[in-house]
Amino acid sequence: MDAPLSPVTLPVDDNINPYAFCVDLQGEWFLHKGKMIAYYGQMRFEALTVASVSALVAAHFSSPLYADDWVVATGVGKLVLGDRGFDINSYDLDDGNLTVRAANLLAFETRLELLQSIVPGFLTLLGTGKFLASSNGPVIFAEPPIRVDPEALVGWADCPSPSYHYDGHWMTQNLVGLLRGAIGIVSGEERQFDFTGAGTVLIQSSEKTMADPAALRMMEQQITALSQAEKVHLHRFLGAQLTQ
Amino acid sequence: MPGYVQVNSKVVQVPVAPGREVLARRGAMLAYTGQVTFRPVTAAQGISGMLGRAVAGETVKQMVAEGSGQVFYGHLGLHLTVIDLTPGESLQVEADRLLCHDASLTSSVLFLGQQGGIRGAVRGAVSGQGLFTTQLAGDGSAVVLAHGGAIGLQVTPGRVVAVDPQAYVGHRGQLSVDVTAKVGWREAVGRGSGEAIQLRVQGQGVVYVQASEQKF
Repeated sequence: MDAPLSPVTLPVDDNINPYAFCVDLQGEWFLHKGKMIAYYGQMRFEALTVASVSALVAAHFSSPLYADDWVVATGVGKLVLGDRGFDINSYDLDDGNLTVRAANLLAFETRLELLQSIVPGFLTLLGTGKFLASSNGPVIFAEPPIRVDPEALVGWADCPSPSYHYDGHWMTQNLVGLLRGAIGIVSGEERQFDFTGAGTVLIQSSEKTMADPAALRMMEQQITALSQAEKVHLHRFLGAQLTQ
Repeated sequence: MPGYVQVNSKVVQVPVAPGREVLARRGAMLAYTGQVTFRPVTAAQGISGMLGRAVAGETVKQMVAEGSGQVFYGHLGLHLTVIDLTPGESLQVEADRLLCHDASLTSSVLFLGQQGGIRGAVRGAVSGQGLFTTQLAGDGSAVVLAHGGAIGLQVTPGRVVAVDPQAYVGHRGQLSVDVTAKVGWREAVGRGSGEAIQLRVQGQGVVYVQASEQKF
């Protein structure tokens, strides 16, 4: 057993083990709610909407949908973060852009700017700085062209946003396939994200995703654009899904 | 032939080519490069085979990967182990522990009662395997899921290995697996060691155990 850690022996902006990370806080960091496990020093954790959070800092967080789930840590000290025993990785952005699944993003420096991606459930980070992301199992870095299971995708950097690729070819090939498709026998891999161009794609080691309550809220917002008849249709569709 | 590459402890990279299709659990694909399509399959020969599997409970839904490219597989963040089989060798494993395997391997459902009669059936009941298990044979590779990874233990004649039924994952080679129960009065009054029922593996081959007593 290793000796207990102290503020002196804790790593500086590095992993303590694959599942815990120590941030050397000198100023401010954005933090996902509830991911702090311990800290040394003087720190305050405040919601983004609290008046004492400077408007300059809050302006770097332009996603009202997720604002409730995030806090600002202010102060000086050593901050230890963990996320349900998932693997934690730190990434350095150098005047770049990276889009990451909102449920996987753990913390980031206030130097970085956060934007909400048009892909539901994803957030984009811009600028220069460090951020932390968690994943179920180690992250695999791959280069396009590649197609990824939407559940296994953690994020992507530098390359264009993904497009959908549908793998339903087998359904139209013959009658057996057609019948199978009609009665709902599927491979579970029909819907894929297709990446092209130059960049990096981040994939986690499992298709198990973490719950993201904001994704539901985003869908709710989109429903307001529907007409009355469309809402009735959606209501029936949901009813059919629930009774299954 | 280029084999399976383990990317990390939880992900395997599998080459797919015409004539080298891969069967996998449905939904276990993480990503792929190249031109690959995934088609659901019901692993059975004819109606009787399908019914047999349904009765045996060895029906994990599978899909076949066709085309040419590289596919990444992983499932629920479980650790995985690549097992290469040579012709003439066979691997016995629970269907729900199989992540993927070469389509060239022949898969069959084995009734445990066949192997050592009632003792085999007892073994299935004790290890939670049920009365049936899946057997893979031929030339190719298979990937097995286990909590904390599967550990291979060599078994040779004269060297018997005892295994906890819950930690048993599968085995390959010419092995016989027997249940031994050392149930005394201590177990009867609930003061047992918790290790009263064991699987005794003997013969020539490898038995795989996982680093956990948890089933999934």
